[in-house]
Amino acid sequence: MLLIVAILSLFHLIFSIGCSNNKTVPPEAILAQQQEADLWRAEAPSYLPDQYAKYKESYNQAQRNLLRINSRFPWFRDYRAVQTEFANLLKQGEELNKILNVEKEKKAQSILDQLRELSNRLETLSNLTLISHFEDISRINLTKAEIVLNEAKDLYKRKQFLLSERKLWDVETYLMEVENKISSILNRYRDLNLILKWKRWAKETVEESREKDIYCVLIIKSEKRLVLYKGGKPIKHYPIGLGKRSWLNKRHAKDHATPEGRYRIIGKNPRSKFYKALLINYPNENDRREFSNAKKKGLLEKGTTIGGLIEIHGGGHKGLTDGCISVDNVYMEELYSLVDIGTPVTIIGALGEKNSLSSILTNIQRSRGQENTN
Amino acid sequence: MRTMRYLALGLIILTFLVACGKKPTAEIESAQSAVNAVISEGLGKYAPEDEKKLKDALSAAMEEVKLQDEKTFKNYDKAKQMLAEVKKSAEEMKASLPAKKEEAKKNALSAQESAKSAVNEAKSLLAKAPKGKGTALDIEALKADVKGLEESLTEVQGLIEKEEYGEAVTKANALKEKTSGVSSQITQALEKVKAEKPRKR
Repeated sequence: MLLIVAILSLFHLIFSIGCSNNKTVPPEAILAQQQEADLWRAEAPSYLPDQYAKYKESYNQAQRNLLRINSRFPWFRDYRAVQTEFANLLKQGEELNKILNVEKEKKAQSILDQLRELSNRLETLSNLTLISHFEDISRINLTKAEIVLNEAKDLYKRKQFLLSERKLWDVETYLMEVENKISSILNRYRDLNLILKWKRWAKETVEESREKDIYCVLIIKSEKRLVLYKGGKPIKHYPIGLGKRSWLNKRHAKDHATPEGRYRIIGKNPRSKFYKALLINYPNENDRREFSNAKKKGLLEKGTTIGGLIEIHGGGHKGLTDGCISVDNVYMEELYSLVDIGTPVTIIGALGEKNSLSSILTNIQRSRGQENTN
Repeated sequence: MRTMRYLALGLIILTFLVACGKKPTAEIESAQSAVNAVISEGLGKYAPEDEKKLKDALSAAMEEVKLQDEKTFKNYDKAKQMLAEVKKSAEEMKASLPAKKEEAKKNALSAQESAKSAVNEAKSLLAKAPKGKGTALDIEALKADVKGLEESLTEVQGLIEKEEYGEAVTKANALKEKTSGVSSQITQALEKVKAEKPRKR
């Protein structure tokens, strides 16, 4: 009898130990599972890779411990330790979520700033390439940049900040290419030696006009302006149109550049395709010498010729030429009647260090500087 | 004699337990290759949540295998069941993937077609603009813009070929938006040319 009582007591003890402990999976484990999925969905692995990896390791460890307990005989399962572990994990996850939200807000603000900055740069370059031609590639890249910028804006609206940021890097690359292209073309408008030479040519032309009391034509590319001098004084200013690569000095045929140098009018055409035309003596001696040197150095392709037929003609100052200088027909009429064969025509890039094209360069560098400081 | 009987019985039980505790290598390989197959098919692109669930389920099954590996009396039944479920899920996801891909492709092609029509419209408008020397600067710039649109359209095609359908839709929509702006500018430039024409020779 005593033995039976002892056995029953032992069973009771075993059952009571088994039942007194927490026998169900702790709710914290289920919450942690949900939390981990939420953090993943919120892109924690991308925003906070190190912190998320640490959290994930703790999560995996807790899951392993839970698995170990679950594999035991039900009477011997004790979830108390793992419950605490999951409770701590939930706190860790909440902390991570807070940091994640701050990071996302920061990222959103940074993207917004970059969107504004790049939109402004794009607009400036777009306006610039509308008033001055800087190769087709510049406009092509600006178009592509705007499309990618639109993509970045769309992704920003959809709160896909990291993808949006990647698109902004592409926009930056396109804009840099355009800015580099424009800078490489315009750098010569800050070249002090070149500017001194241009200034000297302009001065000599004005002096010639004064000394001989004759008409002289001064063409300033950076200002897209033709100035007519008489007796050393400017008497007329006309807006002009230039070629696709007018910012460069003409080197050879079909380069679409406008020559720079001291020329003279050698022909007058009253029935030009472009209203009326004044032919200048491009290539002059200096142009021929430079062409010959370039050819000797192998800088020109085989079969390249020096070109010619550079004129001041009508057709309007808004048109693009192949290297000629175009003015509005009404001004051409006036100019044609005033100048004769032999009139000096001097074509220069700019009259001083501070010219419209060197200012563009400064603006480009300033906007890049702002971008870097941002 | 009785001791011998107990020993024999013990050996039988031990053999039985060891036989039950054989590591499910084939099941592991099979589940892993099913998961890898569906991931390489692009599950992450079309159903990232499914990919995560699948990877998590595989990890859980592998943890169960690891747990049993550490035990003296191993029982891989649960692990086998988990691995079988992973395999089944992976195969189901793989089977439903073509439909998801097709849907995404359909959306991308539709967005591409819409952008293409807009670019063609801009090109037709531009064809009416004057050509050659003397062309207005803004028209010359717009011609380059249209080239940029065409190049971007090629990029959309490239994304579709690479099965980056989501990205293709985003680009095609952005392209369409820009094309609309370019078309308006072309119309304005043409009107300007028309208005200026009588002043020229």
